Amino acid sequence: MAAIYKVSCVVQGEEHPGAILNTAEEPKPGDTVRIGDRRFRVVEVQELIPPHGEFHFLHATLTAA
Amino acid sequence: MDDLHTLLRQAELFEGLSDDELMAIGALCQARSYAAGEIVTTQGERGDELYVISQGFVEIAQTHPGSDAAPRSVVHLGPGQIVGEMALVDRGPRSATVRALTDGTLLQALPREAFLDLCQANTHLGYVVMRNMAADLSFKLRHRMLAGR
Repeated sequence: MAAIYKVSCVVQGEEHPGAILNTAEEPKPGDTVRIGDRRFRVVEVQELIPPHGEFHFLHATLTAA
Repeated sequence: MDDLHTLLRQAELFEGLSDDELMAIGALCQARSYAAGEIVTTQGERGDELYVISQGFVEIAQTHPGSDAAPRSVVHLGPGQIVGEMALVDRGPRSATVRALTDGTLLQALPREAFLDLCQANTHLGYVVMRNMAADLSFKLRHRMLAGR
C-alpha cells in the first residue's frame, strides 16, 4: 500500500482556519495545495508525529498562492 | 477493489483493518452528496451518524454556548477525514456545524448504532477503530493548537 500523508495545514497572513487533508504525495515547499476552491503555496513542512502503518503525519505552513 | 473500499482504506480511522472488516463497514455506508453551502450537521442537534469525507471539503464552525456571536470557522476538512465522531463516542449533541465548502462534496455516512454494534461484535475491529478515533481526535487537537484556534 502506498504512503498516505495526513497534513495539518495552517495558513499564514490571513484569517483562515487551516485544514486537515490526506494527500498521496508528500507536500514540499513551493508546491500548491488546494483547500476548497482556493489554492495555497506550501512554505514549510515538518513531521508532526511519527508515521503509523501507511500514514505519515505532517504539519504544513501555507500562504496564499 | 471498488471505490468505497479504496476510500475506506485511505481513511486513518480504518488503518489496520482487514479487507473483510472493511467490507463489513462498507456495507453500512450510505453515500450523501452536498452542494456548496449546504449544511451537513448543526451544532446542538442530536447526531446519530459519523461521516467519512470521500471528496470535496467541509467547514467546521462553532459558536460558544450562550453566545450570540456568529459561528467561527475552526477548520476545513478534506478527503479521508472524519466528521461527527464526538457525537458517536459520547452521544452528546453535535459540537459544531458542518457545511459543505464545494459543490459535489461527497460523504459516506455511518449510522451510529449499527456501527457500534459492529465494533462490539468484532472486538478487533472495535479496538482498531476506537484507537484510530482517539488518534484522530489527538491530531485535530494538535492542529487547533498550531492554528491558534
